[in-house]
Amino acid sequence: MSDAWNLFLLAAFVDNMPLTLFLGLCTFLALSRRTESAIGLGVAMTFVLGVSVPLNHLIYQAVLAPGAWAWAGRPELDLSYLALIAFIGVIAAIVQLLEMVLDRYFPRIHAAFGVFLPLLTVQCVILGGSLFMVERSYNFAQSAVFGFGSGVGFFVAVVMLSAIRVRLAYADLPAGLRGLGIAFVLTGLMSLGFASFTQMAAAQ
Amino acid sequence: MAARDWNPLRRLLALPNESRTKTILVAFLVSAISAALVSGATVWLRPIQAANRAAEEQARIAALVQGIPGMSDLLEQSGGTLSTVVIDLDRGRAAAEVTPATLEAALADPANWTVLDAGQNIAGLGQRPNFVQVYLLRDGDTVSLLLLPLSGQGYGGRIDAIMALRGDMNTIAGIAVTQHSETPGLGARIEESSWRASFPGTELRDASGELRFRVARGPASGVHEVDGITGATRTGRGVTQMVRFWLGPDGYGPLLDAIERGEF
Amino acid sequence: MVARAPYWKTLTQPLIRQNPVTLQILGLCSALAVTTTLATALTMSVSLTIVVTLSCGIISLIRRHIPDTIRMIVQIVIIAAMVIVIDQFLQAYFAEISRALSVYVWLITTNCVVMARTETYASHNPPLPSMVDGFGYGLGYSLILMILGGLRELFGKGELFGAQVLPLADQGGWFTPLSLMLLAPSGFFLLGGMVWAIRSIRPEQAEAPEHTPPARMEPAQ
Repeated sequence: MSDAWNLFLLAAFVDNMPLTLFLGLCTFLALSRRTESAIGLGVAMTFVLGVSVPLNHLIYQAVLAPGAWAWAGRPELDLSYLALIAFIGVIAAIVQLLEMVLDRYFPRIHAAFGVFLPLLTVQCVILGGSLFMVERSYNFAQSAVFGFGSGVGFFVAVVMLSAIRVRLAYADLPAGLRGLGIAFVLTGLMSLGFASFTQMAAAQ
Repeated sequence: MAARDWNPLRRLLALPNESRTKTILVAFLVSAISAALVSGATVWLRPIQAANRAAEEQARIAALVQGIPGMSDLLEQSGGTLSTVVIDLDRGRAAAEVTPATLEAALADPANWTVLDAGQNIAGLGQRPNFVQVYLLRDGDTVSLLLLPLSGQGYGGRIDAIMALRGDMNTIAGIAVTQHSETPGLGARIEESSWRASFPGTELRDASGELRFRVARGPASGVHEVDGITGATRTGRGVTQMVRFWLGPDGYGPLLDAIERGEF
Repeated sequence: MVARAPYWKTLTQPLIRQNPVTLQILGLCSALAVTTTLATALTMSVSLTIVVTLSCGIISLIRRHIPDTIRMIVQIVIIAAMVIVIDQFLQAYFAEISRALSVYVWLITTNCVVMARTETYASHNPPLPSMVDGFGYGLGYSLILMILGGLRELFGKGELFGAQVLPLADQGGWFTPLSLMLLAPSGFFLLGGMVWAIRSIRPEQAEAPEHTPPARMEPAQ
């Protein structure tokens, strides 16, 4: 149990997707102006990551990994180079399914998510989660914890940034720094703060 | 890309985009052509990739050997070259049926891999091949230098390395890192000669035979430690676990015991 | 009818005036992760430029026949195929750099720059202008990446392309490297600074203030 908790903390804070691994920055910066859109993005991200990473793990192990076809007598078949296309297909399908389910059974939530859901298909974070899962050779349980943890980390980061940017609407910034410029500087400062979490991992 | 001389194809392409037939057709064609393109490129390039990796590995071994102090004298004594052999890890001796040429085919068979349980899997590998190709230098009947390939899970991905052990099978003569995915400027410094220079002379086990090797968190303090890299603690821990696994009972342990007993 | 002038504008516009990274907030992920050295930044720039140019070309060729329901996934699959081919090529001929770039080459698939150009331009325009447009955006992206990579490698290690340019203090020189440049936050700070610089030179890119202060000058609470 403590391994799962450690992995969760690792995924959420030490290897925070936007602040440490630089993933998902486009939507991170574009949708962090208002807290409502930040929360919506964070929740959608957490859900899709939590579902897609373990699912992609299963598909990778069953079909694509070297030696996956040993049961059929072809152990030398290594289809891992197709992982990219496979993962994208799975992610697109999950997002589409989620949208259909929400639209049918939870129309209010669907309306609240608005345009984020289809946007998530092309998110570096979602694909990055699956790719890191492959690179770090997680098993199924670890994939689930990692996916969920990454989503939570993204949620925390984007809500924090939006809270600051909402306040900055009243600040007297130089014209060149307004909007994107100051968002970068803020994200850099937050990233510096999150870098202190690496000590947490090292202490284990 | 649309062919001009196939009437059925032209008819299909002239269908409205939203019709079910056309949707399925376009989806199928795009998938098939993409898959063919990708597979074709991979199959064509794979031999080149393998050849490059092999050439790089040879270069690293040569560089490692050059970097070991006193190496040139040892090489002269033994006649100038390293010999290589495939080892059966469980039995700790040369493999009877597998040669360096047949090693790759042998390892494609999952029966030649041992799955590690949680207690054994300290390097994050999950499973371990039963046969490994090692390099050695003999001085008459004894082994004066042993080059052992290691691998383990680092921070960003797998780390592959080759460790050279002196004849007492306890003192490290040097290390070369052949592959890693660590952070540039931090963990990636394991491939720099300045870090690797702290390895020669480091001892693996203490007097009671217990594995004491580790990458320190800061400068090395003691004969069983090597310097750590600031900001790359997890990479350092990955290296520690990798060395401890492979130099332990589930890795080259039986082989080292056999060499120490003089049976190799 | 095809004059040289329109293509020139398509090509150069994304360099500063419509730069994907500093103005349109596209392609940021890889812009920060792979710019710790100039070599990786250059490889990433070239890879992305090739992918975006070829993808725009191919998608533009079949643009009339892509059903709307599968539009996005068709584009992504084509882009993904290009990326895998480029990745295999890199692994074969530039193995060391490919290892340093690790997953970020594969993340070119979801790079907003590529998707944005295929979706907004290549889907509605003939192949040659689409490819020029894609190439232009690739160049704009590359410009930012190369500047970032150059600054970070120079001040983080004193090197450019691996060659020591500023003599290191612990090797007898005067330069003590700023290790912070190799870590994540410095990328953000440098980008923020670059955005500030570009928007000061070209004030039309600056964003409008969200709140106009009241006419009376009052001290902030």
